[in-house]
Amino acid sequence: MDPTQISHLALDIGGTLIKLVYFSANGDYSEESRNGCSVVKGRLCFAKFETRKIDDCLEFIRFNILHHSGVQQPNGEGHDKLYVKATGGGAFKFADLFKEKLGILFDKEDEMCSLVGGVNFLLKTVPREAFTYLDGQKKFVEIDHNDLYPYLLVNIGSGVSMIKVDGDGKYERISGTSLGGGTFLGLGKLLTKCKSFDELLELSHHGNNRVIDMLVGDIYGGTDYSKIGLSSTAIASSFGKAISDGKELEDYQPEDVARSLLRMISNNIGQIAYLNALRFGLKRIFFGGFFIRGLEYTMDTISVAVHFWSRGEAKAMFLRHEGFLGALGAFTSYNDQSHNDLKPHHHTVQRAILNCSGHNFRHIPVTSNLNESETIECSINLV
Amino acid sequence: MAGQEDEYDPILDNKREAEAKSQVSVAADKNMAPSTSGTPIHRSGSRPQLDLSKAEIQGNLEERDPTILLPNQSDDISHLALDIGGSLIKLLYFSRHEDYSNDDDKRKRTIKERLGITNGNLRSYPVLGGRLHFVKFETHKINECLDFIHSKQLHRRDPYPWSSKTLPLGTGVIKVTGGGAFKFADLFKERLGVSIEKEDEMHCLVSGANFLLKAIRHEAFTHMEGEKEFVQIDPNDLYPYLLVNVGSGVSIIKVDGEGKFERVSGTNVGGGTYWGLGRLLTKCKSFDELLELSQKGDNSAIDMLVGDIYGGMDYSKIGLSASTIASSFGKAISENKELDDYRPEDISLSLLRMISYNIGQISYLNALRFGLKRIFFGGFFIRGHAYTMDTISFAVHFWSKGEMQAMFLRHEGFLGALGAFMSYEKHGLDDLMSHQLVERFPMGAPYTGGNIHGPPLGDLDEKISWMEKFVRRGTEITAPVPMTPSKTTGLGGFEVPSSRGSALRSDASALNVGVLHLVPTLEVFPLLADPKTYEPNTIDLSDQGEREYWLKVLSEHLPDLVDTAVASEGGTEDAKRRGDAFARAFSAHLARLMEEPAAYGKLGLANLLELREECLREFQFVDAYRSIKQRENEASLAVLPDLLEELDSMSEEARLLTLIEGVLAANIFDWGSRACVDLYHKGTIIEIYRMSRNKMQRPWRVDDFDAFKERMLGSGGKQPHRHKRALLFVDNSGADVILGMLPLAREFLRRGTEVVLVANSLPALNDVTAMELPDIVAGAAKHCDILRRAAEMGGLLVDAMVNPGDGSKKDSTSAPLMVVENGCGSPCIDLRQVSSELAAAAKDADLVVLEGMGRALHTNFNAQFQCEALKLAMVKNQRLAEKLIKGNIYDCVCRYEPPSL
Repeated sequence: MDPTQISHLALDIGGTLIKLVYFSANGDYSEESRNGCSVVKGRLCFAKFETRKIDDCLEFIRFNILHHSGVQQPNGEGHDKLYVKATGGGAFKFADLFKEKLGILFDKEDEMCSLVGGVNFLLKTVPREAFTYLDGQKKFVEIDHNDLYPYLLVNIGSGVSMIKVDGDGKYERISGTSLGGGTFLGLGKLLTKCKSFDELLELSHHGNNRVIDMLVGDIYGGTDYSKIGLSSTAIASSFGKAISDGKELEDYQPEDVARSLLRMISNNIGQIAYLNALRFGLKRIFFGGFFIRGLEYTMDTISVAVHFWSRGEAKAMFLRHEGFLGALGAFTSYNDQSHNDLKPHHHTVQRAILNCSGHNFRHIPVTSNLNESETIECSINLV
Repeated sequence: MAGQEDEYDPILDNKREAEAKSQVSVAADKNMAPSTSGTPIHRSGSRPQLDLSKAEIQGNLEERDPTILLPNQSDDISHLALDIGGSLIKLLYFSRHEDYSNDDDKRKRTIKERLGITNGNLRSYPVLGGRLHFVKFETHKINECLDFIHSKQLHRRDPYPWSSKTLPLGTGVIKVTGGGAFKFADLFKERLGVSIEKEDEMHCLVSGANFLLKAIRHEAFTHMEGEKEFVQIDPNDLYPYLLVNVGSGVSIIKVDGEGKFERVSGTNVGGGTYWGLGRLLTKCKSFDELLELSQKGDNSAIDMLVGDIYGGMDYSKIGLSASTIASSFGKAISENKELDDYRPEDISLSLLRMISYNIGQISYLNALRFGLKRIFFGGFFIRGHAYTMDTISFAVHFWSKGEMQAMFLRHEGFLGALGAFMSYEKHGLDDLMSHQLVERFPMGAPYTGGNIHGPPLGDLDEKISWMEKFVRRGTEITAPVPMTPSKTTGLGGFEVPSSRGSALRSDASALNVGVLHLVPTLEVFPLLADPKTYEPNTIDLSDQGEREYWLKVLSEHLPDLVDTAVASEGGTEDAKRRGDAFARAFSAHLARLMEEPAAYGKLGLANLLELREECLREFQFVDAYRSIKQRENEASLAVLPDLLEELDSMSEEARLLTLIEGVLAANIFDWGSRACVDLYHKGTIIEIYRMSRNKMQRPWRVDDFDAFKERMLGSGGKQPHRHKRALLFVDNSGADVILGMLPLAREFLRRGTEVVLVANSLPALNDVTAMELPDIVAGAAKHCDILRRAAEMGGLLVDAMVNPGDGSKKDSTSAPLMVVENGCGSPCIDLRQVSSELAAAAKDADLVVLEGMGRALHTNFNAQFQCEALKLAMVKNQRLAEKLIKGNIYDCVCRYEPPSL
């Protein structure tokens, strides 16, 4: 078997975005053999598409993955179907489409299980994955693998799920909210006429929320409400100034509107997350999901919210690969089948060994397009 | 005009005089900002603090010790308080009772001495009754509010006459809370000449909520799937609770006791967010317009549901149904639609639901965190809006898996104003309990439905004129159409709210706020077996069929009642005008209650009947049946001697049966019953009475007479213990009281039992009142020595005629006959609020006799007492007969119950 034909793919099809994780072998084929297994070096690659542009995703898979791997086309002579790990609600919704267009059969993984698997994978195997972000300072957090559990995972996608993780495979969705990334983009589109998520984020980068949010000082004549610890610059009511300004939507700067919206949603998520962590006595809160996108203002707002509500006792932590948790979890779930699958033509992952070099650790710039991706160099043992 | 203004502005006069005296005058900076040192908000201490603003130095600066004028010095006057919010001004004012009882009445003094009523008032100043009025204005029409205050002189009135200080005009201080207190301080000074004293907003909210939850019986309610249910809260078990105030932003406050609270959380996603975003997205002009839009919305057009992500399926593994919202406004992402392509109704609903649900969730998490059982939601965002309350309730229910409940307050808009009112030193509210408060719902522009429709009203004439223009008759009652309740259903999701068409007002489900009458002399009837579980109303008007029936009965009876009322005032043009206004007002009430049964709190038949009487009094029909009652009393007294002679000729056992039959037979005379009004035209009173009595065939529909007889007469030759004191709750004037209840009272008196006749404090239909009874007793006593001696002993006859044949020794052994008022003016009686006289009389009572449909059937049919109870009535309503006793019209109830211990 030609080793260059080996490739592995996993998808997370959410309400707003489709996330891909796939392995790309480099040209080196090593005969290193340990315990009778071949070892292939290469990269874990990440890509994302808007769900509403699912055809772009299909083309990407067809051209970059299937073609490159030499897998037979559905109308070709090969009769074998390719099974691909998929998670998210879209794994149900778009199963027929992928089968029809690409001959891919979805091996569905539970969304929550994939999320948790992805986070556990990252926290255990990728050094310098978790970090805090406050006052413009990013600090990576060393996590003792033996002291990982329990923690709270807050996944911010179209909606938000809050999951208590107690151990490998032990988790429970304890809360959530419908004010998530979908709200940000949905309301943002209505309010600013932006076309895309990144455009909206770029806009919010330059905005000033004080133009449209009602601050404590606006109510109390410029003073603090010090009796209950609210400074005059604290937001008393998001979008509250729109009540009495006598302005129409066109009179506001789109940047200011986008900024207020981002802050409203980020702060709200931070607060609900903290209240749930408090409820279960959880020390660590990890925020993931594509809403965050490494955007500094978003992380700062969430961190400030958690810091504020917890009076400094709890810390918000973020993950460098926050957008791909579900897809990663689905990808690593191939490993679970190795002992059950004896057919030689199936490609399964027994264990992933990551050797990551430092120069690849950079954030996706705000201005990057949707298809730019970051990679993790690693090697994978194959059955 | 300028001259008049000078009269109200002594500061100006002083200033002018000062200017004349001196060459240099230094005025304080009128625009001086509030002090920034320390906390700008403070509660007033126990002593009035110096108000140094606008102080001036009088006289020449060159003098060594110039006199400092302190024009704003003031004493606390607790008669007016405001909460000035961003959109609404809530005003609370206190007025005294117009009538004040005359303690010099000889009869009352005698009764008080005998019953041992003492003045238990421990306060340093007297507690007088009065009324708390609740008024709303829109903040942007603040001049209307100022006009209202000025027209009623609320800023000057001193309701407490014991205050020996004479306050100079225009030096008052008004307690104000809310964000607008700072903003409008100068305007109040300019227009009314008063200063504003700012009270802490949070403190006011908590004080107001504490007062309402303790003092008003039907204040807190739940709201699930469009249904309201009032929750009675034990004042001793009130704390701790969570108070969530949803204004522009949200404050979440843990309340641990009086004055003990902490703001534990909050969120900036509140009413201001809904309105602010809503305005930008829909171009609505007002908050209510935005709410109204949401009534017709469909959120599935714009929210991303779980089913949208899972291809129509549930995500059943974690309990999210397909119709659960996964992402608010999430659908707007993927569609190539502009803002204009979406319906404003759908946007408004999605927004309302997003924010309401979020508030419910955050509140639940905080309640959970502190282990609190109850969450009360208030604030202008809620506004009594059904869908908002439903969404908040659903969120709390969902996240707590049904273990926690969201509750709302009927006076929620006025929490802050109430708290500000209570920050006066002598507000007089802190010890009031629910049995000392009566809520009335008079007509009036600022109060109707809680909305602001027109100018504040001065006198009755203004009110009638306004009503002739704006309050139409409730034509809905003529042909009532059942309205489908606005329900929300479904696991994890809401169905689209049912649309009621363009006629629906967004405040349709808002609850009315009435005038709170403070009656410190009202008490809970001490002989109730369990006051906490006592429910006076027998008929459940939350049942739609029952409610429609009784509202229809009252509506159909209205024309006759108006005719009778107008005739009682001489049939003048003025009386006709007032009668028409009464008809409009009461029809409006009925229409309102058909639309929203919980509008006035928990609705019972007793409340309906009392509402009607209060409405009559409002338009100065103080006693619509006065002449009818007088005529019937005279006719009955004329035949009483024959009846007494007949009774005295009987054996004791036969007499007891005849007496009970007589009470039941005489109860047929009831102007409150349509079926009986016709009888009046068919014969004389005595003929009807005898015919009615002759028709009595035992067993009666409810017949405990044998048990009662055994209690009274004993069995097996063993003499029973006589009752020490019997309370006889009487019903109608005329034959009912004279030929029915007085002979029964006479029998008890003959046996040595003290008798207290309990009658209405105020007229209701042809019911006898406590004011009328002494004269009736006096008339009866002319023909009966037993009644005469008892009446003398009871103080009803103050000028005793000494008969030659009676010895003083005999007089001193007679049991007394007394009359007390029951504390209400309704055909029914709610024993949770009775007069202190009645409560005192009850202490030595071991038998309660409740007579008549109103007191024994409509209310108290199921009431249980610590003493023996006898309930007597003839059922004069076919439907009631069927439902209550499975019988027919004119069936009788004689229900005897031993003490319930």
